[in-house]
Amino acid sequence: MRIPPLVALALAWVVLMLGIAILADAAAPYSYTALDLRARLSPPIGFGGTWAHPLGTDELGRDVLSRLVHSIRMSLLIAFGACIIAAVLGTVLGFLAAHFRGAVEHVVLALVDFQASMPFLVLALSVLAFFGNSLPLFICLLGLHGWERYARISRGLAISAGAQGYAAAVRQLGASPLRIYGRHILPNIASTLIVSMTLAFPEIVLLESGLSFLGLGVQPPATSLGSMVGYGREYLTRAPWVLLAPSITIVVTTLAVSILGDWLRDRLDPTLR
Amino acid sequence: MTALLEAEGLVRRYTMRRGLLGRQVELRAVDGVSLRLERGETLGLVGESGCGKSTTGRLVLGLEAPDEGTVRFDGAPVPPVGSAAWRAQRARMQMVFQDPLGALDRRLTIGTQIAEPFEIHGMAGAQDRVAGLLRDVGLREDFAARYPHELSGGQRQRAVLARALATDPALLVCDEPISALDVSVQAQVMNLLIDLQAERRLTMLFISHDLRAVRQVSHRVAVMYLGRIVEEGEPDAVLRDPAHPYAQALVSAIPHPGRTARRQVLQGDPPNPAARPPGCAFHPRCPMAVGLCRSVVPELKPRASDGRRVACHVAQGEAMGEAA
Amino acid sequence: MLRFIAGRLLRAALTIVMVVTFAFVVLRLSGDPALLILSVDAPPEAVAAFREAWGLDRPLWVQYFSYFGAILQGDLGQSMRDGRDAIDLVAERIPATLALTLPALALKVGIGIPAGVYAALHRNSATDRVVMVMAVAGFAVPSFVLGLLLVLVFAVQLGWLPSGGQDSWRHAILPVITLGIGGAAVLARFTRSAMLEVLGQPYIRTASAKGVPWRAVVRGHALPNAAIPTVTIVGFMVGSLIAGAVVVESVFSWPGVGRLLVVAVSNRDLAVVQCVLLLVAATMVTSNFIVDLLYGVLDPRLRTARGGGKG
Repeated sequence: MRIPPLVALALAWVVLMLGIAILADAAAPYSYTALDLRARLSPPIGFGGTWAHPLGTDELGRDVLSRLVHSIRMSLLIAFGACIIAAVLGTVLGFLAAHFRGAVEHVVLALVDFQASMPFLVLALSVLAFFGNSLPLFICLLGLHGWERYARISRGLAISAGAQGYAAAVRQLGASPLRIYGRHILPNIASTLIVSMTLAFPEIVLLESGLSFLGLGVQPPATSLGSMVGYGREYLTRAPWVLLAPSITIVVTTLAVSILGDWLRDRLDPTLR
Repeated sequence: MTALLEAEGLVRRYTMRRGLLGRQVELRAVDGVSLRLERGETLGLVGESGCGKSTTGRLVLGLEAPDEGTVRFDGAPVPPVGSAAWRAQRARMQMVFQDPLGALDRRLTIGTQIAEPFEIHGMAGAQDRVAGLLRDVGLREDFAARYPHELSGGQRQRAVLARALATDPALLVCDEPISALDVSVQAQVMNLLIDLQAERRLTMLFISHDLRAVRQVSHRVAVMYLGRIVEEGEPDAVLRDPAHPYAQALVSAIPHPGRTARRQVLQGDPPNPAARPPGCAFHPRCPMAVGLCRSVVPELKPRASDGRRVACHVAQGEAMGEAA
Repeated sequence: MLRFIAGRLLRAALTIVMVVTFAFVVLRLSGDPALLILSVDAPPEAVAAFREAWGLDRPLWVQYFSYFGAILQGDLGQSMRDGRDAIDLVAERIPATLALTLPALALKVGIGIPAGVYAALHRNSATDRVVMVMAVAGFAVPSFVLGLLLVLVFAVQLGWLPSGGQDSWRHAILPVITLGIGGAAVLARFTRSAMLEVLGQPYIRTASAKGVPWRAVVRGHALPNAAIPTVTIVGFMVGSLIAGAVVVESVFSWPGVGRLLVVAVSNRDLAVVQCVLLLVAATMVTSNFIVDLLYGVLDPRLRTARGGGKG
C-alpha cells in the first residue's frame, strides 16, 4: 500500500497531536496555570525569547507551550467524545428506523430533516443559554452535531442489507435483532462509519474552538485551543504569539484530519461524498 | 397425520407510488394461493419472474405475514413474524437463496457462519457438527477457515446449504438455488439437493423458473401465473401433457433434442401484477381464449378426465359451446 | 404542482413546530423558571404567586399550548436585563447583521460558483489546483482565526483599516471579507464536484458526440443540472443571513444579532435567546421552502403530479 507524501505528513501530524494529548503532563514543561511574573509577555524563540519559554508567555507569565499542550489534550478529548457520541446516537437511530420502519422511521427522518435544516451553532448556543455550561454537558452537546449523517448512512445500509442478502439470511436463521445489527450489519458498515467520523472530526474541532473562543465553551481555568485564541485576542497587538500558536495548531490539525479523511474515503468507501 | 405444511388462500398485496407524489397503485403479488406439503415430499413451483413464486416462498416460511389466508406448520399456525416463538421455529424451517454470495456475511469465515444457527438456537457441540455438515454438502473440512469470497459459486451455495441444514430442519424452501450458478455446477448442486432430500427425509419447496430442474427434484409440480397456481400435478404427467395453455407454452419452450417442430411462442406483453386483466389473467396472451375467459376467473379444480388440477375454462371443458 | 407546494408548506410548518417544541422542552428541562427568574431564596408565597401568574401550576400540555399560542401572537417575552420586548431588541439588530451578511453572500456566490465551474471545466489544470487548495484551506481556517489574522495584518501592521466597531463602511470591509472567503471556499468545492459529476454523465457525452458545440453543451446541459445541488448550499447560506455571523460579529465587535445572541447566552437572557432561535428557524424554513420551489423549476422530474416527458 502506497501512501502519498501529503497523507503521510497529515498522518504524522495527527500521531504527533495524539502523542502530545496522551503525554500532556510529561510533554508540558510547566503546569498550564503556573505563573512566571518576571517573564510576562516574553516572546518566542527567534523573536527575542529564551529557551525557558520556547513559545513565549502570556500576560500573566504563563508558558504558552504548556498551555498549548494542555489545550490540545482538551480539544482532542472533546472532539473525540463528541464524535463518538454522534456516531453511536446516529447509528442507533438509523438502525431503529430501518428495523421498525413506519412511524419510528418517520420520526427519525423528521428529526434528521430538522437537524440538517437548522444552523447547529445557534441550537448549541440556545442549549448553553438554558442549561449553563459544564464539560460533560458541553461534550454531549457537541455530540449532537452531525448525528444525522450517521443516521442516514446506517438506515440506508441496514435497509439494503435487510431487503436482500446477509441480514435477511441471518434473520431467517432465527437471529435476534441484536445479533443481526450488532454481529452482522455493524461490522459490515463500520468502515463507512469510520470514514464519516474522520470527515466529521475537524468540524467538531472547529465548532468547539469557535464556542470556546466566544467564551461559551471550555471555561477557565481549563483551557482549549479556542479559548486560548479568545484569550490571546486581548494581546493581539502586543503579543500575537499567544494567539498564533493555538490558531496554527487548529488550522494544521483540521487540515491534516481532513486530508486523512478524504484519503480514507477514496480508499475505503468511494460511495460517500 | 396432518400435512407438514398447509397454506390456505394466501394473498399478499404491495402498494407502490408512481413517482414522488403519484397515486398509490395496489399490486397483488400473490392472489389466493393454497399449498399442501406432505412430509418428505418435494413440491416444485414454476413460473416466470414476477409471478409471485418467491413471495409465496417467503409467505410459506412465515418470513412475511400474508394479508389474507393462513399458514399452518405441523398443524399449528405460524407465530407472528419476529416473535420469540417465531425465531425459535426458524430451526425447523430454512431457506436457500438464489445469490449465495449475498446470503453470506463476507466478513466472517464459512465455519463461523455454519456454526451460527447452533449459537442462535443454543445448541452445543458446534465445532464437530460444522465438520460433519461440510462433509455432508461435499466440502472439505478446511473450508471452515475460508471467507466467502475465496469460494466458487457452487461451493458458496453448498456452504449456504450446510448452514440451512445445521439445525436439522423439517422444511427447506429453495428459491432459485441454481440459477445464479455456472451451468457446469448446476447439475452437481441439483444432485446434492436430491441426495440430501432423500437421506434426511426433507420436505422441500423448490422454486424455479426452469421446468426441467423442477422435474428433476419434485414429486409434484405447481405452475404459477400472475400470483395464482394455474396447474398442479405429477411432474412427468404435466411435462408430457400440460393442460393449461400457459403450462403448454412453458413446456414447448424447453429445448428438446430430436424434436424440431411446433414451438409455441407466447404472444403479447409479459404480465404486470399492477394491472391484472379481468377474468382469467392469462387470456390476453392465450391462443385459445374465449368470451368466458375474459369475464370469469377460472377455479383450480380437478379435471374430469384424469383428475389433474387445472384452472382453465377451456381445459375443463366449460367453454365448449363457445369455442370457435 | 399545487400538491408539491402543499407538501413543502407542510414540511416547513413541521420544522417550525419542532423548533418551538425544542425551545419549550429545553426551557422546561433547564429548571424551575420561577426559581430561575426570582432568586433562589425568594419566599415560598412569592414563588407560588409567580407560578400561578405564569400558569406554571397547570398541566404541562396546557402550558405547551398556551406557550404556542403566545408565540403565534408574536409575544416572545421580555428581556430579563432591561425589560424590553425581546422581539424589539432583536429586530433593531437585524439591519446591522444584514449589512455584513448580504455583501458577504454576494462575495461567496460571485467568487465561489465561477471558481468552482472554472475549476471543473479545466480539471487538473493549475487553476483547478489553486482553487482546490484555497477551498480546503478555506474550510480548515476557522473564521475567528481568519478574522484576527486580517486584523493583525491590515489593522495592526499596515494600519489601513479599522479593527472593530461600526462607524463607517470601512469598518465593514474586514468582517465581510472574513465571512465571504470561508463561504466562497465551501461553495467552490461544492460547485466543482457537482459540475464534475454532471460532466461525467452519458447525456453530456451524447450531446457533444452529436456535434453540439462544447459551450452550448455546458450552458444548455451541464450548468442547469449542476445548479440543483449548488442551490441547496446557497439556500442554506441565505437561511443563515441572520445567524451566520455570530463568531465574526464577536471578532469585530459588530453590534448585530449574533453579538446580541452571544451576550444573551452569557447572561442567560432566555427570552432573547429564544427569540433569536425562532427568527433563525423562520428564516431557514423560508429559504428552504424557496429552494424546494426552485428545485421544482430546475428539475422537472419533481413535478410528476402532471406527468409528461422531458423534452
